[in-house]
Amino acid sequence: MSLQNLSIRRKLILITMLTSSVALLLSSASFLIYDLISFRHLLTQDLTTQAEIIGYNSAAAMAFKDEPAATATLSALMVKGDIVAAVLYSPDGKMFAHYFRNGKTLPAFLPSPSREKGYRFKGGSLEVWHDVTLNGEHLGTLFLQSDMRQWSTRAKRYATICLVFVLISGFLAYLVSSKLQKVISGPIVHLEDTMRMVSANKNYEARAVKSYSDEIGSLIDGFNTMLSDIQHRDAALRGANDELQTRTRELEEEISHRKQAQEELLKAKYVAEEASRAKSTFLANMSHELRTPLNAIIGYSEMLEEDAQDSGTVATVQDLQKIKSAGKHLLALINDVLDLSKIEAGKMSLHLETFDVSGMIEEIVTTLQPAIEKNNNTFRVHLADQVGTMRADITKVRQILYNLLSNACKFTDHGAISIDVDQSTEEGLDWLRFRVTDTGIGISASQKKNLFQEFAQADTSIARKYGGTGLGLAITHRFVQLMKGRIGVESQPGEGSTFTVSIPAQVTLETVGHIPAEGSSDASDTIADMQTDRDTILVIDDDAAVRELMSRFLMKLGFNVLTVASGEDGLRLAKQVRPVLITLDVVMPDCDGWSILSKLKADSELSKVPVIMVTIVDNEAKGLDLGASNYLIKPVDRERLAVLIEKHRITRSKAVGGSNKSRPSHGQKRGEVEAEASERFGHAENLTSRR
Amino acid sequence: MPKILLVEDNEMNRDMLSRRLERKGHFVIMAHDGEQGLSLANTEMPDLILMDISLPVMDGCEVTRRLKADKRTRHIPVIALTAHALVTDRVKAINAGCDDYDTKPVEFGRLTEKIHNCLVGKKAL
Repeated sequence: MSLQNLSIRRKLILITMLTSSVALLLSSASFLIYDLISFRHLLTQDLTTQAEIIGYNSAAAMAFKDEPAATATLSALMVKGDIVAAVLYSPDGKMFAHYFRNGKTLPAFLPSPSREKGYRFKGGSLEVWHDVTLNGEHLGTLFLQSDMRQWSTRAKRYATICLVFVLISGFLAYLVSSKLQKVISGPIVHLEDTMRMVSANKNYEARAVKSYSDEIGSLIDGFNTMLSDIQHRDAALRGANDELQTRTRELEEEISHRKQAQEELLKAKYVAEEASRAKSTFLANMSHELRTPLNAIIGYSEMLEEDAQDSGTVATVQDLQKIKSAGKHLLALINDVLDLSKIEAGKMSLHLETFDVSGMIEEIVTTLQPAIEKNNNTFRVHLADQVGTMRADITKVRQILYNLLSNACKFTDHGAISIDVDQSTEEGLDWLRFRVTDTGIGISASQKKNLFQEFAQADTSIARKYGGTGLGLAITHRFVQLMKGRIGVESQPGEGSTFTVSIPAQVTLETVGHIPAEGSSDASDTIADMQTDRDTILVIDDDAAVRELMSRFLMKLGFNVLTVASGEDGLRLAKQVRPVLITLDVVMPDCDGWSILSKLKADSELSKVPVIMVTIVDNEAKGLDLGASNYLIKPVDRERLAVLIEKHRITRSKAVGGSNKSRPSHGQKRGEVEAEASERFGHAENLTSRR
Repeated sequence: MPKILLVEDNEMNRDMLSRRLERKGHFVIMAHDGEQGLSLANTEMPDLILMDISLPVMDGCEVTRRLKADKRTRHIPVIALTAHALVTDRVKAINAGCDDYDTKPVEFGRLTEKIHNCLVGKKAL
């Protein structure tokens, strides 16, 4: 075990003892040395004094050469135990008289008297020379030699005493330091013990006991502070841990509660959906059930009305008219409720098609004419120049505008009603804006709030005065929402109202609810969007029913279909969209199809577009002369039409070198269809000839 | 006198509609379900058929499909009478091959116009 690794106790004892021993040894040595030096000095003085006395006593003997006297004088030195030799030398250096103890001899001549008078230490002896004089005459030299017996004895004794003293004091130092080291090592060992205990038991409540306020005391204080810090932290940690566990438990409970609630909600949702489905089914059935007797009521009242008119019973006519109008009102009500319930069930679907806005407005105005005239209102339509076509659900747009305009007619008397249509671009989207303005009774601010709510006519008295279900605006609002449009109203009571509806020029189907299950897959075909990979066919016909039928039929064949009601619009659209084919009616209110056909064929851009005449007019030769590709007489045989369109499609795709692109299903079926079609065509001719 | 086959299950509607059509100078024969309608169409060869879509035994769509699949009856124009608002019915009717449709309760003026158009071969597709 090296010195450094000794325990503090041992180190302290060792240090104390080493220190005290060194100090003791040094002081003893210095004392010893000092004493021996002084003692030697004393010895020298003593021997010198004796030499002087002997020299004086033997001077006469020397002067008279009386050797025996001299020897006797020297012999007196026998009492001095330490003097081993005493010799008197004559001035010529010869030994004159001598005394030797224990047979010691000295040379006969004076041994190198380096000094006349003096002393020297030589080989553990002290030698002294003294000149013997009598009345200033030099008679010889006395030489004394001492073995310094007293000195060495004294030195030995002193050394012994010192050794004993050092040993005793060392032992005492050991005892004292053993006791006293505890003052230092005790607290440290205690601290160490405490520390070991804490680390072994992880018991941070233990504390080291502070004995003194020294550095170790501070160390213990620091240690205790540290311990209590750890203890606090430990407690805090434990507290936090407990809290965490509590929280976790709470959270688990919360989660299980939520799960339960969620399940309940899901169940409730399921039940609600079931209920909603049941409601929708009920409403659909109910409306059908209601409509059947209504059908009879309206029909019979119309019949009786005709009878009454024939027989001239005016009063009965009026009553029957009342029955009829009540029936029609009831019918409108049922239709509205059904529409609304379908919207609510998310079952109102959009049937998107591209149509000409001006044509649609025209239709609405025609339908509304009686309502406009009823209250002696003036009516004005203004279409901005850039308004062309839009892609939306034409039935719903028509109903939106019809509702707004019929409201305007209903609530305006001897006033002015107008509709303004313009097109604008907002956030990269084209919008069509319809503004329906009237100078009627207007709407107050408080009435505006509930304006678009179901069954919330601005005032209950209104229902009495003007009739209506209060569903019109709610349905209008929902339809606008369905097409992702906006509706707003500005109005002053008594001054009139302006309803503004904005609908995207290209409505998309993204978030529109799906068709009910009964709709089958055929229905989804009809709402097929304007797909870019589809070719477009332009249908020009003034009859809305024909346009709708054509549009559905052609969409099923895989085309985008664009329908317009007037020849001029057809020309304009043809230039815009470049259809792959055009079907054209001949008899139209604004112009005749012949002139449109001529214009199409005269236009360098459009002359290549095949035109199929679809008309009642039996004049195939004229049509073909003017450049029509085919001539079909109404009622049109669909298969014949399909075959013709397929022919044009194939010719076209060959022309553009992409025959592979044509739809294989049509291609494969073609022969079969054509064969059957020619047969069918025969029937059509029969039908025509039979007329 | 054009011969019209009216296929309608509701007795009142059948009676009312047939009488009004007769007043307009049509010769009306009636069927009260789809099957009867199909057989009458084959035996009587009417000039036009007014077909209710929701019919017992065989629905109007099915009857129309069969009529249009048969060479002998294919040329007879069929006008479907469908419930309002149920666009899906209308779509079904057109897909089944009906030449035109009208919604119930019928607006008689509009219906007679459609009948006229079909008979003279003008308006129907």
